[in-house]
Amino acid sequence: MNHYELLLTHMGTVLHAQYLVPLLVGTIAGVIGGALPGVTITMTVIVVLPFTFGLDPLQGLAAMIGVYVGGSAGGSITASLIGIPGTPSAVATTFDGFPMTKKGEAGRSVWVGVWSAFIGGALGGLCLIELTGPFASLALEFGPWEFFSLFVFALSMVAGLVGRSVTKGLLSGAIGLAVTIVGPDPILGVQRFTMGIHPLEGGFDFLPVLIGIFAFAQLMPDVEQIHAGQQALAAAETKVSLKVSHLSVFWDILCRPFILLWCTFIGVVIGVLPAIGGSAANIMAYDQAKKFSKRPEKFGTGIPEGIMASESSNSANVAGSLMMIMAFGIPGDAVTAVMMGALTIHGIQPGPLFISQHPKVAYGIYAAYLIALPLMVAVIWAGSRAWMRIIMMPKSMLIPIVLVLCVIGAYALGNSMKDVYVLCLFCAIGYAMVKARIPLAPLILGVVLGDQIEANLIQAVSTDANPWLFITRPISGAMLAASVLSIGLAIWQHRRETKRRAASAADEEEDTDF
Amino acid sequence: MLSRDGVSGLVCLAISVILMTQTFGLPPATIVPIGPAFYPRVVLSLVIVLSVILIALDVRAMRIARAAAAPAVTTTGSAPNYRLVLATFIEFGLYVLLLPLLGFRIATFLFVLSLQVTLEWPRSGRHWALAILVAAATSLVCYLVFQDYLSVLLPRGTWSNM
Repeated sequence: MNHYELLLTHMGTVLHAQYLVPLLVGTIAGVIGGALPGVTITMTVIVVLPFTFGLDPLQGLAAMIGVYVGGSAGGSITASLIGIPGTPSAVATTFDGFPMTKKGEAGRSVWVGVWSAFIGGALGGLCLIELTGPFASLALEFGPWEFFSLFVFALSMVAGLVGRSVTKGLLSGAIGLAVTIVGPDPILGVQRFTMGIHPLEGGFDFLPVLIGIFAFAQLMPDVEQIHAGQQALAAAETKVSLKVSHLSVFWDILCRPFILLWCTFIGVVIGVLPAIGGSAANIMAYDQAKKFSKRPEKFGTGIPEGIMASESSNSANVAGSLMMIMAFGIPGDAVTAVMMGALTIHGIQPGPLFISQHPKVAYGIYAAYLIALPLMVAVIWAGSRAWMRIIMMPKSMLIPIVLVLCVIGAYALGNSMKDVYVLCLFCAIGYAMVKARIPLAPLILGVVLGDQIEANLIQAVSTDANPWLFITRPISGAMLAASVLSIGLAIWQHRRETKRRAASAADEEEDTDF
Repeated sequence: MLSRDGVSGLVCLAISVILMTQTFGLPPATIVPIGPAFYPRVVLSLVIVLSVILIALDVRAMRIARAAAAPAVTTTGSAPNYRLVLATFIEFGLYVLLLPLLGFRIATFLFVLSLQVTLEWPRSGRHWALAILVAAATSLVCYLVFQDYLSVLLPRGTWSNM
């Protein structure tokens, strides 16, 4: 049997109830977990893990793939409806999804995200099936120099996300990096900047920082505008509906094929590279979509391109991460790390020989992934009234509940109040940054990449102290050159925008003179 | 006089300079060519440079604005209600402080009820009942789902023992 005959056979197998039921249950759990602020895909997949021990490997993996695919799309629902990313991988979806909802297009906002995730995921699935080998070979070429340069490139790209100031974007990214220098250094374990505070000795975990930064930053502008007596009326008058013409949503997506394909590609590549994950992929894809757009100034105002970029890359990133464990046995992110754990419990060691030694499981993963995509769409469609209820809740009711979920989300990471205190600290920092109009996304990327930048820098100079290797090694040099170009392009774009604004202001002044 | 950009730059500059001075107390490199202070210094230098640029850009923008005698920017829409923001911060802070003392269920009930009432005062008995119901449901449903089903051991109160 050839490649695709094997795939079809295994799709038939996964469609049997014994595999389909865990896949469906996992998808439902994933969508709900992804949609709940403060509950991540990682947490959902960890919750599902104990239920998979009694199942055969493919049944267990099917449930986890369902969580992964469902959670990736579920995070976008909350991001679009209430402006808080349900998962870190839906951060960029808030940039345009929430403004679109505010404009009264909640249905379009959610479904552009869901269908983009579906199409991006399907294209990513094709890559998963076809390109596992070649992509794995490419990632094998990467040493610490290349990883360092890649992370620097990722951060520099985010400068382009900034609304009006490249300086503020870069400063935000640098603050994110500064957050990661608190705690032990990666070689000697020397405590840095803990100021004698014991809970800081482990450094800041990423998730409480993320929840804190986004929770208050997103909720407080609503609190600022709440006026007693008007809230209930506004809620009653705002008829938010998720009903939408799916054909027009498809047209929204398919008439922008370049963004769809390019962001899917970014998602797959970021997924293949270890430890970057969807939280970086969606921001990088958003940045790219903005840079290549003919109307970059419209990004952040509620346009479909922004949602498409984030969700297609986010969904395709799942395929890339799966590629990574199947080809190398290296988890692309925390979710695939849990999956690897589940496989090893069943005595299966993922790695280069995985496909040849366990074809049933390997092709079962392909099949479960492809079937999880339409299941995810069906689950979101079937539960559309429930998603509506979230947004129809008065803000005075929703805000306390969201804050409680944020506290639980932080607390559940280590069953410790330490993470809740970190959450509080970053709530204040996030709100201060919003008031200072400093963008939040670069800070988050800085926090995600900070530790890895330092670790790769140390590994590189420990291997060879010659600093020129960062430039002379072709891939690393190309990445650093791309970083410089990326910042240059962002500055040029901002100057062009400023000049355009000044010119239009001058025109308006002339008009009023007459 | 600086605008919010300049003030942000000054705050970042002050914090990063303080942290930079602390890097000199870190031990030198022993095993690897770069020590524990190297990377923090690079990052903090970046923050310092960017903060200075932000302050400089702000000073320049203020000068240009003064020279052009630009009219004051008028804001549209209602003024932000910072009292509610402050109240939310205080109540959230109290919630986090009381969580280990009162336990999850009591602290969450009190927090959700008080914040609802703060954000929108209930105008009738029905609204009061709804607010109490939401607070009780949030507290109990979260407790049952996370404690019983998701194995998250939510904080027990040292005062209330629940």
